[in-house]
Amino acid sequence: MANGKVQIANVVHEPRTPNPEPQNRQSAIANRQSPTSEFAPGIDVTIAGVRFQNPVLTASGTFGYGQEFANIIDLNRLGGICVKGISADPMPGNPPPRIYETESGMLNAIGLQNVGAKRFLQEKLPFLRTLKARCVVNVFGYSTEDYVRCLETLNTGDGIDAYELNISCPNTRCGGIVYGSDPKLTEEVVTASKRAARFPLFVKLSPNVTDITVFARAAQEGGADALTLVNTFVGMAIDVETRTPRISNVTAGLSGPAIKPLALRLVHQAARAVHIPIIGIGGIASPEDALEFLIAGACAVQVGTANFYAPDTPIRVAEGIEDYCRRQRIHLDQLVGSLKLPLSDPSRVAEH
Amino acid sequence: MLDAIVTVVENRPLSGGHFVLSVRSPCQAQAARPGQFAMIRLLGHADVLLRRPMSIYDVRPGRNGNQAQPEPQVLDFLYKVVGRGTALMATLKPGDRVGLLAPLGHGFFAEDYLAEARGGDEVLHVAGGIGIAALLLPARELAAAGVKQRLFFGGRTHADLVGVDEFSPYVSETALATEDGSLGHHGYVTAPLSSYLEAQPGKRLLILACGPWAMLEATVSLARRYGQRCLVSMENRMGCALGVCLGCSIRVQGEGHGSYERVCTEGPVFWSEHVVWGEERLPKT
Ligand SMILES: Cc1cc2nc3c(=O)[nH]c(=O)nc-3n(C[C@H](O)[C@H](O)[C@H](O)COP(=O)(O)OP(=O)(O)OC[C@H]3O[C@@H](n4cnc5c(N)ncnc54)[C@H](O)[C@@H]3O)c2cc1C
Ligand SMILES: Cc1cc2nc3c(=O)[nH]c(=O)nc-3n(C[C@H](O)[C@H](O)[C@H](O)COP(=O)(O)O)c2cc1C
Ligand code: FES
Repeated sequence: MANGKVQIANVVHEPRTPNPEPQNRQSAIANRQSPTSEFAPGIDVTIAGVRFQNPVLTASGTFGYGQEFANIIDLNRLGGICVKGISADPMPGNPPPRIYETESGMLNAIGLQNVGAKRFLQEKLPFLRTLKARCVVNVFGYSTEDYVRCLETLNTGDGIDAYELNISCPNTRCGGIVYGSDPKLTEEVVTASKRAARFPLFVKLSPNVTDITVFARAAQEGGADALTLVNTFVGMAIDVETRTPRISNVTAGLSGPAIKPLALRLVHQAARAVHIPIIGIGGIASPEDALEFLIAGACAVQVGTANFYAPDTPIRVAEGIEDYCRRQRIHLDQLVGSLKLPLSDPSRVAEH
Repeated sequence: MLDAIVTVVENRPLSGGHFVLSVRSPCQAQAARPGQFAMIRLLGHADVLLRRPMSIYDVRPGRNGNQAQPEPQVLDFLYKVVGRGTALMATLKPGDRVGLLAPLGHGFFAEDYLAEARGGDEVLHVAGGIGIAALLLPARELAAAGVKQRLFFGGRTHADLVGVDEFSPYVSETALATEDGSLGHHGYVTAPLSSYLEAQPGKRLLILACGPWAMLEATVSLARRYGQRCLVSMENRMGCALGVCLGCSIRVQGEGHGSYERVCTEGPVFWSEHVVWGEERLPKT
């Protein structure tokens, strides 16, 4: 993080020495600790110039606007908060039933119900501004103009640290998914949004594509400052007694521990295809889950569904990452992308 | 509202796959209001992820060693085994620990409800099956306020009609109904309710209803026909009960949250005329 960015691209061409010995890094860490004290790992991360005190954020749609959790956990211990997806105009959302629990996961088709950009600025942002946790505003629209209009409204907000462009929600009939499943449109909407955005732009990709690297590169081409991987996987469930879908929208997004291995694979692949930082997300419920994403190449992670049943998860995960780094005597940036691949692994070959 | 790990003191089986789970948590017991609910988390079961919503059935004094404590210490939950989560709940033993997020939601008497009850002639409780669990605390509070009350209670079969004895100190009369005719009126609970409403012209009644969607809908249309006001305690699947997932939203009249409101936060108790009935049915358990 000395240079302000995690250099993931290095992993592709000349894999970093895995698990470097701390003494080899003495010069890099000399300014962070005295040699006699207990090793104090740096777990802060800077993405596109935004410094997060730790690499754990809460995922959009699973943490409201932050205030809802103020009485349950210490919000100042979070790296960041990604707020519920905001659109230029308020959205009513889908009819019930909107959620259904599956084995180690849940389906949701909320339909992006939200208060709209103007009310967000008036009613939600003033509180978020007071926190140490960084405020990342998740944005979605139905057309490139929608995205731009929403960003232009939000640009006037004081206290936004970054945007996260949702081009991947599977639950609105003509919504962002169109952008998320067409690389040309992905690049188009990212380019237009980057031009409009006053704050750094993260782009949240859909996992519901054949080749994630195509979309990761398209977003990078469009000017994305970082990528968030992944949104929910499209799924469904049927009530066999009534032979009806469990969710009114019929299909819905699957999240939770059930998707972790799928999400991890996509982060691993995308990290080897682009040089911009990646924020990993999907089923993270423990420090170990998060470490897997970091080792695969994500420089930060988000916790989603786990907030619903164990709101202390993001803080526990951040603590666990710090403990691990202390134990391994490494800083976070040495951990990121440190996966040791077998020599024969095809993904060692650059995909550029 | 508090998110706590609490200890099970009892898990008592009743008829028909019903149980009363009692947990010790003085802070949460003392904060609970009639009509509020809790989210119960089964610890150590990664395949049953989400917490389960349960009405706060009762709050009771407890003991600390030999010392009797007058303030509420224990929360009771009356539940029916219907799926994976409740089946696991049924295996809980005294001394086991569960996660308890409580108390949640607007209860029955958060605003003008009590005034409405006091100003009328009688309160009618209408319960369908496990819906009875939401009505015991309001019945006790109304009795303490001197309000006359009556219970209409329906279920599939006689084994579903649990907890009638707990209710009897607070109500002047109870009408039971079972779909199989094994106890009380043969049919739906709305039949005895309808006859009663028919026989009370000019009376001002307040109906408190909790049960399956179809029963609520029928009750609300009776209330409308006889010009009586009705409060419904709604159920919906819940992801978080913190107001953030928007999974529990139901359609309501007017502008509130784009004509949807959250059962966990704006509810679970609503004035019946505020809810949009008809087109959008909630799932059955
Ligand atoms: C405010 C409120 C109060 C409730 N009070 C009681 C009570 O006092 N006693 C009682 O027995 N039941 C009550 N319920 C219903 C109870 O929550 C469900 O029966 C229970 O969640 C079913 O869980 P399961 O794992 O056994 O069933 P499954 O069918 O395996 O559950 C699958 C998922 O659906 C959800 N779900 C299924 N049915 C319901 C439902 N009717 N309401 C909400 N979520 C549901 C569960 O939370 C779970 O996430 C209440 C529901 C709500 C919303
Ligand atoms: C109820 C719910 C609502 C969500 N809403 C949004 C949203 O508004 N915008 C968005 O980009 N992602 C949304 N997501 C996706 C999550 O941010 C996250 O990408 C996904 O749930 C995977 O992470 P998890 O397995 O940790 O939950 C939502 C997820 C859930 C469960
Ligand atoms: S259960 Fe999540 S908003 Fe109500």
